[in-house]
Amino acid sequence: MNVVSVMSPAGCSHVNAYKVDNWRPNLRVIYQCFVWSGSAETRRRKAKSCICHMCGAHLNRLHSCLYCVFFGCFTKKHIHEHAKNKRHNLAIDLLYGGIYCFVCQDYIYDKDMEQIAKEEQRKAWKLQGVGEKYSTWEPTKRELDLLRHNPKRRKMTTNCTIGLRGLINLGNTCFMNCIVQALTHTPLLRDFFLSDRHKCEMQSNSCLVCEMSQLFQEFYSGHRSPHIPFRLLHLVWTHARHLAGYEQQDAHEFLIAALDVLHRHCKGDTTNDNGKKANNPNHCNCIIDQIFTGGLQSDVTCQVCHGVSTTIDPFWDISLDLPGSSTPFWPLSPGGDGGTVNGESHLSGATTLTDCLRRFTRPEHLGSSAKIKCGGCHSYQESTKQLTMKKLPIVACFHLKRFEHSAKLRRKITTYVSFPLELDMTPFMASRWASTNYLPPGLYVLVRYALFAVVNHQGTLESGHYTSFIRQHKDQWFKCDDAIITKASIKDVLDSEGYLLFYHKQFLEYE
Amino acid sequence: MKMENMSLSGLDNTKLEALAQDIYSDLVEDACLGLCFEVHRAVKQGYFFLDDTDQESMKDFEIVDQPGVDIFGQVYNQWKNKECVCPNCNRSIAASRFAPHLEKCLGMGRNSSRIANRRIASSNNTNNKSESDQEDNDDVNDNDWSYGSEKKAKKRKSDKNPNSPRRSKSLKHKNGELSSSVNTDPYKYNYNTGINYETLGPDELRSLLTTQCGVISEHTKKMCTRSQRCPQHTDQQRRAVRVFLLGLSATSLPDSNTAVESDGYDASDGQVLMSRLQWDGSSDISPSDSASSKASTNNSDSKKPKKKKKTSLNSTGGGGGGSGSVGGSSSQGCLAGQANRKKPKLPVPPAPSIYDNLN
Repeated sequence: MNVVSVMSPAGCSHVNAYKVDNWRPNLRVIYQCFVWSGSAETRRRKAKSCICHMCGAHLNRLHSCLYCVFFGCFTKKHIHEHAKNKRHNLAIDLLYGGIYCFVCQDYIYDKDMEQIAKEEQRKAWKLQGVGEKYSTWEPTKRELDLLRHNPKRRKMTTNCTIGLRGLINLGNTCFMNCIVQALTHTPLLRDFFLSDRHKCEMQSNSCLVCEMSQLFQEFYSGHRSPHIPFRLLHLVWTHARHLAGYEQQDAHEFLIAALDVLHRHCKGDTTNDNGKKANNPNHCNCIIDQIFTGGLQSDVTCQVCHGVSTTIDPFWDISLDLPGSSTPFWPLSPGGDGGTVNGESHLSGATTLTDCLRRFTRPEHLGSSAKIKCGGCHSYQESTKQLTMKKLPIVACFHLKRFEHSAKLRRKITTYVSFPLELDMTPFMASRWASTNYLPPGLYVLVRYALFAVVNHQGTLESGHYTSFIRQHKDQWFKCDDAIITKASIKDVLDSEGYLLFYHKQFLEYE
Repeated sequence: MKMENMSLSGLDNTKLEALAQDIYSDLVEDACLGLCFEVHRAVKQGYFFLDDTDQESMKDFEIVDQPGVDIFGQVYNQWKNKECVCPNCNRSIAASRFAPHLEKCLGMGRNSSRIANRRIASSNNTNNKSESDQEDNDDVNDNDWSYGSEKKAKKRKSDKNPNSPRRSKSLKHKNGELSSSVNTDPYKYNYNTGINYETLGPDELRSLLTTQCGVISEHTKKMCTRSQRCPQHTDQQRRAVRVFLLGLSATSLPDSNTAVESDGYDASDGQVLMSRLQWDGSSDISPSDSASSKASTNNSDSKKPKKKKKTSLNSTGGGGGGSGSVGGSSSQGCLAGQANRKKPKLPVPPAPSIYDNLN
């Protein structure tokens, strides 16, 4: 197949004879009835009537003449004969809807006709209950021009360093570097920024989202020397003053503060379908909320009347207590009751992430010192409280509470917690199925999460160093130690202590 | 292949096999045709070439996996001389010293001139002690000892995450030691004046509880006068005492999260009792307040700066009200703000679509 030269259009002038009078609705009918038969009725009609008028073939790349009611197969050239005899020079392929021009002797792509084809296809999918289907990106004419004039291109193959870059430590800023590595390797965030979707509304030069966008440009620039994130530090300290100050800080705290500032600065991007700005600043639909915000359900059950009071709060992360902390850890025995649910390694009773989540979502008796007023009983009663996930975020961040800072104790809990590469969140969801282990078919698929970043802390509470592991290209892991990026094995990752664990939903649904 | 009505029963296996084979090969052929059309269209529309890259230059970007070098093939630790320009003062600073420089440059550091200036300015202030000594910074900000005193002139150091690996402040130890001695001998500890709650009216109690811990000591039967972050008592205890003393008046608990009503909207209750935030768009809670991240065992440090309730989703500290804020609960509950409960049942928030405007 020769590459068509730049100058000739994908359409042809021969369609102009067709595009007269009522051609649009006519074409729609052809698509609806004979190509994208959506309803059962049209499917039946197509099956019965769409046969070659000359040989009766049902397949053989059947085409319909656009000018009259004639079906002819392509393979035996019956449609060609018809075209020659009747001088009807346009036909449509009934399988894929392509338009064939007998004068050009090729399939042509006319913008108006393709528009109709696409619309009818969408309608048919809806009728069939398929819903929306993903269609690949196509460049616009302008984009094509730009791309042609700039042929130097970088393709991200599996063995490519592009997307990876070291970060200079600005003076105990390893905590920030690790969070930056995790964020720049969050697939959806990467897609958002690389497709330039941030529309800045801030007047001054102090938009953190713009800086984030710039950060992605730096990471994908192909530069090998480490990036110096001094502007980022300056912006974060300006917008989250409580973090400012040169001393060792907590990576988790930085993550929350950074997400908060990004979320605040995303105002220009929060539009709903009508293009209007979201009036309510609390009901934001910015990229940060779309990716990171989940809903945590809290159910308080009165012990006397069993009335339940439910509330849901948004969250960006789940902080999990660990065994060895001064909170009583759990009545669950590590490794007991289905402990291999997520394929975590159980080195003679090691605590798993699943154990921690189970503890997090267990019903907790609030005790006689914390009676609540029950609306049903109209008096103070004891109650139990339970937390579950109502809405799972696309990226779930788990924070293992390794740093204990109470009045009596200040220490780091170094208990090994084993975490899986893939996590099933079903048991922790706020649905009635969670407790009965019954899942409607298909639901399982929606709640699988895959690990993509791990932030670790080495050292003591007073002084330590943060490093991170991030995943690139499905199963390739890299260790990020400030300016030094090296390849890591999956075993390295899973054997590490784990402080912040980032999981990404594996399947995304359309709204 | 002519289409005709055929009954499948009565056909032997070979015929069925043949039919199945026919159908299968038709499907494969159709699939191949589809691919051909895709490629044909890509070529004709001109975007087929987009995949092309310059093979030679791509070699420069291959990942290196050798000891002693990073993935770019570079030796470690060669980046000592990196410099950057400070956005604040426009001076060229060594990158590895940028953070301490910026701290001083922005006037945030312990030894920055801003602090010094403030020191000078406040030298006539009656509150001399609190400003004049850097070492007592933490102590001052904690302000644990004075009854009803203003909270947190400086929020910075006092907003620490109880779970962060901060460098230890010796003062924190001190606080701990002192407080742990209170229970055994309350009368020696003269900072704890102790309030007898029975003598106070509801309004007084309410205002008191916005600034103080308020937990009632079992020994003295008096309310703790330390700050709302006092390490001796847990958030759970603080919540309990508020519920006990004030019923469910929401305004007394800026950050409390005890849900109290059983399901079923009690419309006759004019007052909003222990309102919880509905996460249906009217929420004031910022996910940065996520209680799971704030839940602590004994220390209820709230790390977020206090902001007004009316601001956007990120209103931290659970909204205005008390100058101190009751942090997360020990049972990892969620923080509540002060929004009104609008509906009895909580709606499921819609799953946002990332691909909304994609094409």
